[in-house]
Amino acid sequence: MLRYIVQRFFQSLLTLFVVVTVVFILMRFMPIEGFFGPNYDKLDPEQQQAILRSMGLLDPLHIQLKNFYLQLLRGDLGTSTIFRPNVPVWEIIAPKIPYSLFLGWASLTLSITIGFTLGVFMARYKSTFLDRLGTLYIVIINAVPSAVYYLFLQLYGKDLLNLPMLFDPDNPKSWILPIISMALGGIAGNAMWMRRYMVDELNKDYIRLARAKGMRNSAIMFKHVMRNAMIPMVHGIPTSILLVMVGSLYIESLYSIPGMGGLLIQAIQRQDTPLVQALVLIFSAFSIFGLFMGDLLMAALDPRIKLGAKEGSR
Amino acid sequence: MAKTVEELRAEYATKEKILEVKDLVIKFSLRGDVLTAIREASLDLYKGESLCIVGESGSGKSVLTKSFMGMLDANGWVESGSILYEGQDLAKYKTEREWLRIRGKEIAMVFQDPMTALNPLRTVGRQIQEAVELHQGLRGRPAKEAVYELLEQVGIDDPVRRYKQYPFEFSGGMRQRVVIAIALACKPKILICDEPTTALDVSIQAQILELLTQMQKAYNLTLIYITHDLGVVAHVADRVAVMYAGEIVEVGLAEEIFYNPKHPYTINLLSSLPQLGVKGQDLFAIRGTPPSLFKEIQGDAFAPRNPMALKIDFLHRPPYFEVSPTHKAKTWLLDPRAPKVELPEAIRLLQSKWGDDVVADA
Repeated sequence: MLRYIVQRFFQSLLTLFVVVTVVFILMRFMPIEGFFGPNYDKLDPEQQQAILRSMGLLDPLHIQLKNFYLQLLRGDLGTSTIFRPNVPVWEIIAPKIPYSLFLGWASLTLSITIGFTLGVFMARYKSTFLDRLGTLYIVIINAVPSAVYYLFLQLYGKDLLNLPMLFDPDNPKSWILPIISMALGGIAGNAMWMRRYMVDELNKDYIRLARAKGMRNSAIMFKHVMRNAMIPMVHGIPTSILLVMVGSLYIESLYSIPGMGGLLIQAIQRQDTPLVQALVLIFSAFSIFGLFMGDLLMAALDPRIKLGAKEGSR
Repeated sequence: MAKTVEELRAEYATKEKILEVKDLVIKFSLRGDVLTAIREASLDLYKGESLCIVGESGSGKSVLTKSFMGMLDANGWVESGSILYEGQDLAKYKTEREWLRIRGKEIAMVFQDPMTALNPLRTVGRQIQEAVELHQGLRGRPAKEAVYELLEQVGIDDPVRRYKQYPFEFSGGMRQRVVIAIALACKPKILICDEPTTALDVSIQAQILELLTQMQKAYNLTLIYITHDLGVVAHVADRVAVMYAGEIVEVGLAEEIFYNPKHPYTINLLSSLPQLGVKGQDLFAIRGTPPSLFKEIQGDAFAPRNPMALKIDFLHRPPYFEVSPTHKAKTWLLDPRAPKVELPEAIRLLQSKWGDDVVADA
């Protein structure tokens, strides 16, 4: 087991390296004009060359790559070039993290607790009114563009419940609408899968045996069905960590939350190479770590998975 | 120890009935249509016996026994008839609370496929212990001890280690032993074995049947086997009930059914046994398919496939005719007015061996 963890850890590192390198190389293929931002037209060719040289962009690719990784090893993510020139990248990202993180965690917690519970009840009372109501909710959330119900929520939240329409760091109530908006999709997804896995389990033979030995339906639900259905669900949780980090472009702009949402897109559009690289590194590190944790959790919960026990068989 | 058929009949005359099924009708609704799975089946079960229910797929063997435990699928229901058990009519049971008095406690079940009958994510020991806790009122340490004892009884060595293992660490035969241990942990009076050996290797089948027979003695069980393997029937049955299209068309002592079959379906079924075939001749097969259970069946359900069917078979449903006190069949052939029909060679051969001197293994 330990051997598997170590092996898997190095695999994750390798994956991270590949992702970051590929993005690094792709950024070098961007048009030269972009590196000068709005000043491009004002500079003559010699000045442009001088700037490029000073940024190290005229070196051969492998030298640039080496320099980038050496810098990274020193814990330096670089300085922004265009977004906020000469400001260290970390200083741009750091203040935004807490907002996105809080919004993300809160909505993730909500979507897991409510989503799982809803799924369990839908499976337990399958084909009844409750199940149909839940299905209706899932269909609506998946079919209606999220922008539409986000707006509805914002408007009616203001009109009917008198909740703040925009984010205000000093008013905790202003978190309510964005968190709920962001959780709606997750609730629908979790409920749908939980219901599905439960129904799958319910049709298995061992449920019949459990009934035949005289267990109550409620005990079967709790001790057998829910636990078994939980395993594939749990696998997905660490993977959602990424979503928590990245934040939501739309919700953050809708409520004017100064989070990470859309930072990556802006950085790419404005060709701020160091910022893009730093964000890609952080995001991919989180998602790769999430997948890694998911596998470990699965192995801890499912006795049939003996990770790395037989080297020959993989 | 051998007993003659006469002695067996005399024995049955004094035996006590434990379960009495009378004119049971079970229906299912399927995509808006109503299907009659059990059509007025009647069956008596005697204390301590082994009864085999045989019949082809879809004849209602499983449905019939599931109805004894209230385990019909959600779209099925008992339309009429009764299932009498210890003075109670199980056919009237509706709620889970009522059925919990029966399930496990009085009637337990062993399933066909041991590979899927156990929860893959709980230890084998825990799954047996659940039954022990429910039905023996034990908790904690004593419950665990009881599980160890059960594991040993069903022939699983090293119970302390095995308790902590998961089903995937057991072979098919071993898992079936675990399923049997779960059934025994309930301390039932009746054990229903739904094709207990169908999913197992041939070499393991005999062991499992042997184990069931031992446990029947040790626990004083009444066994119902559901099977379409006539080899199993010959091995374990005291009595045999033959089902066709949701009816019990013939029931009798195993010897009576094997050597003196009366219902055309039983006769055809036995004729199609490869062991009874004559070398060089084609094997006998029953032609046609079972009737659709969605429609009302006129007369004898087997008539359309029966080469020796009489005209009346297509018109009126035959009642039971008694062949002996322990043997009855639903066929017009037994009516005194019926013409003599030519039986297949294999059956004539069997019947020539039949007589009151036929000896049964006890």
